[in-house]
Amino acid sequence: MFEGIPMITIILLMPIIGSILTFSLGRRESWAKWFALSFSLAALVLSVVVALQFMVNPTSQATGYHDGRGFFNYQFYEEHVWIKALGINYIVGLDGISLPLFVLTTLLCTLSVVFSWDTKVRAKEYFGLMLVLEVGVLGVFVSLDYFLFYVFWEIVLIPMYFMIGIWGGPKKDYAAIKFFIYTHVASLAMLISIMAMFFQAGAHSFSMERIALDGSIDSNLFTGGFQIAIFAALLFGFGVKIPIVPFHTWLPDAHVEAPTAGSVLLAGLLLKMGGYGLIRIAIPTLPQGAASLQILMAVIAIVSILYGAVLSLAQKDLKKMVAYSSISHMGFVLLGFATFTELGIVAGVFQMFAHGLVTAVLFMMCGVMQHKCGTRMIPSLGGLSRKMPRASTLMTIGFLASLGLPGLVSFAAEFMVLASMFQVWALWLWLPILSVVITAGYYLWALQRTMFGPLTDQIDTTKIHDVSWYEGVPVSILIFLIAIFGVFPLVMFQFINPAAHIVVGLLGGG
Amino acid sequence: MAEVAVWDTLQGFTPQLILIAFALILPGLDYLLKKDKRPLAWFALVPLVAIAAFIVTKLFFSSEPLSMQVGSLLTLDTFSGLFMLVFISVGIVVVLASPEFIRRDRNHGEYYALVLLALTGMTVVAESNDLIALFVGLETAGISSFALSGFRKSENRSAEAATKYFIIGGFSSALTLFAISLIYGVAGTTNIADIGLILQDPAATLEGSRSVVLLAVVLFIAGLGFKIALVPFHMWAPDVYEGSPTPISGLLAAASKKMGFAALFKIFLIAVIVTKTDWQVAIAALAIISMTVGNLIAISQTNIKRMLAYSSIAQAGYILIALPVGTQYALEGGLFHILTHAFMKSGAFMVVAAMGAVAVGEKLEDFKGLSKRSPFLSFSMAIFLLSLAGIPPLAGFSSKFVLFSSAVYASADGPTWLVWLAIAGVLNSALSLYYYARVIKYMYMDPGPTDRISVPPMIGISIALALIMVITIGLYPQAVIDLCETAAAGAFPILPAGLP
Repeated sequence: MFEGIPMITIILLMPIIGSILTFSLGRRESWAKWFALSFSLAALVLSVVVALQFMVNPTSQATGYHDGRGFFNYQFYEEHVWIKALGINYIVGLDGISLPLFVLTTLLCTLSVVFSWDTKVRAKEYFGLMLVLEVGVLGVFVSLDYFLFYVFWEIVLIPMYFMIGIWGGPKKDYAAIKFFIYTHVASLAMLISIMAMFFQAGAHSFSMERIALDGSIDSNLFTGGFQIAIFAALLFGFGVKIPIVPFHTWLPDAHVEAPTAGSVLLAGLLLKMGGYGLIRIAIPTLPQGAASLQILMAVIAIVSILYGAVLSLAQKDLKKMVAYSSISHMGFVLLGFATFTELGIVAGVFQMFAHGLVTAVLFMMCGVMQHKCGTRMIPSLGGLSRKMPRASTLMTIGFLASLGLPGLVSFAAEFMVLASMFQVWALWLWLPILSVVITAGYYLWALQRTMFGPLTDQIDTTKIHDVSWYEGVPVSILIFLIAIFGVFPLVMFQFINPAAHIVVGLLGGG
Repeated sequence: MAEVAVWDTLQGFTPQLILIAFALILPGLDYLLKKDKRPLAWFALVPLVAIAAFIVTKLFFSSEPLSMQVGSLLTLDTFSGLFMLVFISVGIVVVLASPEFIRRDRNHGEYYALVLLALTGMTVVAESNDLIALFVGLETAGISSFALSGFRKSENRSAEAATKYFIIGGFSSALTLFAISLIYGVAGTTNIADIGLILQDPAATLEGSRSVVLLAVVLFIAGLGFKIALVPFHMWAPDVYEGSPTPISGLLAAASKKMGFAALFKIFLIAVIVTKTDWQVAIAALAIISMTVGNLIAISQTNIKRMLAYSSIAQAGYILIALPVGTQYALEGGLFHILTHAFMKSGAFMVVAAMGAVAVGEKLEDFKGLSKRSPFLSFSMAIFLLSLAGIPPLAGFSSKFVLFSSAVYASADGPTWLVWLAIAGVLNSALSLYYYARVIKYMYMDPGPTDRISVPPMIGISIALALIMVITIGLYPQAVIDLCETAAAGAFPILPAGLP
């Protein structure tokens, strides 16, 4: 149906054109949001069209690429020579692993634009940067060439640095530079690893699949020691983004200071880049390295799950609590991958999608609280359900979704991760399950202290309004999707399953 | 017939002859102009644009590789053509930015004449096949640069810069000349290629003079190390860059320094390549020290020109990686980074020059709130700085990518410690991001004065030129990489390829 139409390039061009137009608006700042909305919406609509095509045909493969040796079932595959001398090509494509994240990106970007509808401070730059960020994240999820991937990976840093630094909270300077340098160092570890893999695989091409084929699948140019060293470097490079304990300290700072839309995109999308990198690059390309470090990955995952949850319990700032809970929930992604089972990998990818939806709701509701009440400090809030019933309903659903209420999307994802762990390390299952109790604890406790109980006397509650339309609409859309995918997770599995099957095959199982 | 022969001999020297001719006319022309001195800049641009057009045609659109001999002294090949392109491009950027910067000063004719003469010297160094020609080029460029940095002679800082530069420059020239004489004493020739052959010749019993050659190597490192501002020979650079008129700081950082690299590559990778094992570790250590010290000191600077000077010192460390790795691919990366650095660094200096021309100042604080005062200047500066930090998809990333990856590969093939050059390079890139990002933060995030700055049009054009190059090379590096590959392979055929 779409033969010959470069759908992915067209979708990538939407935010690119949109951002250029938005930046060149001159003094008509009030048009910025309309430009941002139309171009992000166009990307969203086109990406849904792509997803529907996948539903019709989830496993067809672009034929003939890499001499017919291609092992992932990429669709909408495009390949053009970029820098011939170094074997660098513009290669993009989508498969079951990247598709959910790709659609999540266009969705969250559009909803973030809507949520930021009343931004008036430097609106042109704000919406322009948001579109640049969308280009970067979309590019990461579709790139199949290491050089291209790295370019998009780094592009993401710049708009996020500006978003935190310009529209951020009181400690924005510190948070912005910490975010920039921390994640940049991680990127550089990744860059060195990419160079090493390129040369070790014979220095023909920077294509991800070609390097995996030449290095470890069709031959064993990637020896055991090499695989372990490079996998460890990649685990660090991607792990900082996920983030894994102990490389997580940039995240609470960045989140607390970032504007709401920035936090939504940071937690909803940027963290997913780390998980995606592991499952798209590190594990398939370096299966022996992954196998050697399997236990390490599982341990880091469980530590992140528990440590994030315990830290959430101790937070007084709602947003910081949600930020730490992200560390805990992203730990499930790593745990799923670390099982090396088809179920675990599917669950990990699905958990990334689920966490993207749920955490966006949570950060948006934190933004609403900040906006309406002037503070997010839990001790200053209380009994707000009487003043803002709609907000408290949305917040309650968001919290319940995040703590894993059955019927909502996170339950399906986390249950599957735990089930996959049961297949591999059944005896240790109680450790991650412990976090479920803590998670329920901090969410319900926070809910009780902010929404229910006696009305607070620490802030002026007489002038509090309920959610505005531009805040309510995106949250409601997300909650609708949370419920839909909670009840029908199979919709997503039909994409992810075949791709996960291939990864497990590369790991020598399946 | 004799005339034809002379012309044939001089063909490769035509660019320099044109530059010298224009340089000689310029001071005279100065007398003819009464008030408006701007036509002098246009006049000085004529030879530069002509040579740029010639060299671009020859390098990018010619089917056969560039090769013109000037006796046995000079060769205009792809390698020297690439350097000529760098020098002439920087020259164009500098000359474009100058008239509005020096409009209140006197002696415009001499200013442009000296710029052209400095460029002549630099191109001679890049073309030289002979140590004497190389030294003459170094001196021509050096003496013109001393005078240029002291151009505002009534200004203390400028006079101080010129004096310092002159003394250090003289000292480094003496060291270089001494090294040349030692090499001549051993090899009996000043031809670079012949020296290489003689020193490698197993039949010639040079064992006794080995220590003399090593002494010459040490003197070359010191003498040329001053030229490229390598730690620990870097002390002069921040003072000189700070005191010189800003366009001249750009010329020194973006072009003059590259001349030193042209000389280093020729001497170390051709003439004394046989002693590679002796200098390899030392130069690798100097490269790492240079990038680290440069970046660390840059962090604490409050003057933008000093900060850019230290960043240049660090960038010299990156480029120097090409020498110890010593493959054609590494040299390709070195040449590529020389080219991209010329554009991003001269662009950054021209932004500072634009601010100086409208009397804003050179302190880092003066950049506060610049995005409101001049979106063009702040956007250009942000792009130049991000490119210097090596953020894709800008030119600085592509060239660092080639350069650092050459070290990664060479470590698999040769000594494994070479990978540390790449690791030090990327760690330093992260470190440098701190002070580059701080300027961006000042420009975009901090409040400052709100009155708008109107960028003088000619400086605006020169910044735009550099900006276009940085973005275009970043997005489409193919043509330039091919060129660097040809240049490296053509000029250094005996080196290992470095790319399977």
